[in-house]
Amino acid sequence: MIKEFIQRSALRILEGSSEKGLGRGNLGVLVARAGVGKTACLIHIAFDTIFRDGKVVHVSLQDGPDKISSYYNVILSELLKVFQVRDDRETRSLVEKNRMILAYLNQSFDLRRLKKNLKNLSEKADFQPNALVVDGLDFSKTEAETFEVFKNLAREYGTEIWFSALSHRHIADASGSGIPYPCNRVENFFNVVLELEPANTGIRMKVLKNHTKEVRPEDAVLLDPSTFLTMG
Amino acid sequence: MVQDNKDLRNIGISAHIDAGKTTLTERILYYTQRIHKVHEVKGKDGVGATMDSMALERERGITISSAATYCRWKGYRINIIDTPGHVDFTIEVERALRVLDGSVLVLCAVGGVQSQSFTVDRQMSRYKVPRLAFINKCDRVGANPNRVADQLRRKLSHNAVLMQIPVGLEGYLSGLIDLVSMKAFYFQGDYGENVVIDEIPHHLLEEAVAKREILLDAASVFSDELMEAVFEDKVTEPLIEEAVRKGTLMRQLTPVFMGSAYKNLGVQALLDGVTKYLPSPLDVENVALDLDKEGTPVSLSPEPGMPFVALAFKLEVTPYGQLTYLRVYQGSIRKGDDIYNTRSRKKVKVGRLVRMHANEMEDIQEAFAGDILALFGVDCFSGDTFTDSKVNYAMSSMLVPDPVISLALKPKDNKAGAQMAKALGRFVKEDPTFRSFVDPESGETIISGMGELHLEIYVERMKREFEAEVETGMPQVAYREAVSQRADFNYIHKKQTGGAGQYGRVEGFIEPSEKGAFEFVNLIKGGAIPTEYIPAVEKGFQSCLEKGLVLGFPVLGMKVTIVDGQYHPVDSSELAFRQAAVGAFRQAYLHAGPAILEPIMKVSVECPSDFQGSVMGSISQRRGMIMSSAEDGVFTTVDAEVPLAEMFGYATTLRSLTQGKAEFTMEFSRYARVPDGIGEELKKKHAEKTRGGKK
Repeated sequence: MIKEFIQRSALRILEGSSEKGLGRGNLGVLVARAGVGKTACLIHIAFDTIFRDGKVVHVSLQDGPDKISSYYNVILSELLKVFQVRDDRETRSLVEKNRMILAYLNQSFDLRRLKKNLKNLSEKADFQPNALVVDGLDFSKTEAETFEVFKNLAREYGTEIWFSALSHRHIADASGSGIPYPCNRVENFFNVVLELEPANTGIRMKVLKNHTKEVRPEDAVLLDPSTFLTMG
Repeated sequence: MVQDNKDLRNIGISAHIDAGKTTLTERILYYTQRIHKVHEVKGKDGVGATMDSMALERERGITISSAATYCRWKGYRINIIDTPGHVDFTIEVERALRVLDGSVLVLCAVGGVQSQSFTVDRQMSRYKVPRLAFINKCDRVGANPNRVADQLRRKLSHNAVLMQIPVGLEGYLSGLIDLVSMKAFYFQGDYGENVVIDEIPHHLLEEAVAKREILLDAASVFSDELMEAVFEDKVTEPLIEEAVRKGTLMRQLTPVFMGSAYKNLGVQALLDGVTKYLPSPLDVENVALDLDKEGTPVSLSPEPGMPFVALAFKLEVTPYGQLTYLRVYQGSIRKGDDIYNTRSRKKVKVGRLVRMHANEMEDIQEAFAGDILALFGVDCFSGDTFTDSKVNYAMSSMLVPDPVISLALKPKDNKAGAQMAKALGRFVKEDPTFRSFVDPESGETIISGMGELHLEIYVERMKREFEAEVETGMPQVAYREAVSQRADFNYIHKKQTGGAGQYGRVEGFIEPSEKGAFEFVNLIKGGAIPTEYIPAVEKGFQSCLEKGLVLGFPVLGMKVTIVDGQYHPVDSSELAFRQAAVGAFRQAYLHAGPAILEPIMKVSVECPSDFQGSVMGSISQRRGMIMSSAEDGVFTTVDAEVPLAEMFGYATTLRSLTQGKAEFTMEFSRYARVPDGIGEELKKKHAEKTRGGKK
């Protein structure tokens, strides 16, 4: 199943770049309007890391661990169905061992706490993440300095950090390279920017920035909305 | 006569141990004329505070059982439940909060927000209990009520607002300034019983005005009228009181009172605060579950004439029999009424209704919604619901944490054995967190509870109250065994000892079951084993599951498939095939890769966020796997899976790691294979034990 997943992973869209993905020490963002599936896609990215023998820290600024963990279970069940895996114990155990959920409820999030928590995970629980997925950060209210700290954090821990960002229908601002508000304000910090939008038969993932590689309009892929695996 | 319970207050007094809550309760009883002499905790007069009703509590200077008591203050009726402060007895606090409408959080003016304050405060939040704070011991060296109020805001996230400021502090504490009436209060007489009201001393006027401004700012959020009055400079005492009451009932404001119970200073003002700001039973919505409608929640009404509904929230053994504390939630109860226990469906006649005052009691004729009272001679469990049979309700179940530690008990002699059984039966009824059972495997009596001290207290109570001398042993983990691969069997059971013989052959294989439960599959065709003997074969295998061959623990999740066999027209019987199955199991089991399984617990630790690292470290050291960590305000909850075998003594470790500021719950999650090293160790111990047993 793992081999098949990697072959159909949404992140194959980045394979053409020099880094063959986001890469250690780098920041990436998924930008989409409300309800398109940013959290589910971040979880797909988390599975991609885990199935490549990596460890993931899922940072949630809105939902508690129970909700996040059931979200993982739902998507994993869909994946197991697609790949016709009957005995799921091994896969579920692999995910549980290599995923850590850090939730910050009721505006408890602050970067000092995150840094402290990552240090605790590394020193006290021997958990060194290869990737962080950060869900629920309000980009419209987040200053550039915050992303500077995230960038340093990614370098310090040799990890890649993926974010989700909410774009708005009523704000048409975009940078010259087509990166929409609110990501356009801080696009320099990001090596990869991907946009998700609903399509007739699934979710379209478009590359808006891929390191230094020139982005072409055809750099897009259609994804299955329940697993975020590539279609076709 | 129907009482107007608008004037009733059901309150708890909760605090860290040594914050002085027992002394405070004692003074309240004195000022409300329920007692006529004041005793101290650890008092030199050898009497002890009235609320510490048990001898053991008196000896240790701590309060273990919550004793309910009733008093009157300025036309208000107040039921007080004195609650214990030690972390091992939190069920007592939880139970008290379940039946109370409001609470007083007692804090030490020197120690401030201490470890237990976190636990107690969280419990109050869980049960949505509005509270007042009382900063006690303002006469002590180092007292700083401002700092403690600040800690309430910072550490416990309370919107704490001072209702008073002290006149002098430490040794110079002489009175209080009430920021609502802007008057100074002095407490004179041998026990501070004469309250003298005077003008604010000149040197404190500026501070009092500034603190009052803060009070008005905080209170006016809850009252437009007060806000307007502030703008127009027409603030009145009732306007402030109404706004503070509203904020308190919404649990968005915590009025802070202060004083020194020991020095008889400030307690009457606190009582005024209780009556003014804490809710009456009419201000609180209570919900029951309708058992006739699949547990649909129903709101209870304090209106007279409604069907009677009450909760038994505490049981106590007294020299006169079992005393059951009840909180009436709806309707009324009279002496001579018939009431029904909705759990046991048994009818009970109300013989004697009493109002409790620690160890003393007052007979009453009837009680109404909101009242707390006690019944004699009613056989029930703590947490049972009583009705008048017109409704079939259960009060929502109280949150009962699972026990975290177990101990084996051995009575010293036969007499002690009988007494021990009697004591255990009683304790289990009294305290839902205390469990007792006889381990069918070891034959030992096992008790389990919330912590080492919790169990120690019960062992001591057994000795003192029931004269049962017992020895305590080490706790035992319930391991299991399971096969990990397929192994074939082909076994003939043949016995010829004169008379009718025994004959049966079974052939097939055992393997792990995907379903995780015992499975039996019969693939025999052509009657190699006659159909009537197949159930005996299944029973034979099933009987083997009770005791695996590695450590002697039960076997989980095994699938047996039989494919062939043979019978004898004369010598075959059910017994013969049963024995054949037992032999087949023995033949195959050790070839099927039997593994030892251990219980894995889902552990949830709640701690101030600063201790997250220590908590994670303590879990990792116990072979635990951390699943998540969630921060909410100043607290963090770390969820993990940890083998039960590693959890003994964890309460003590956690307490020392976090200065007692963390608490944890755990529940069974699943069984998992023990690591090889530990498995070998267990086998070695088992072999030694078996050899020892054989000698």
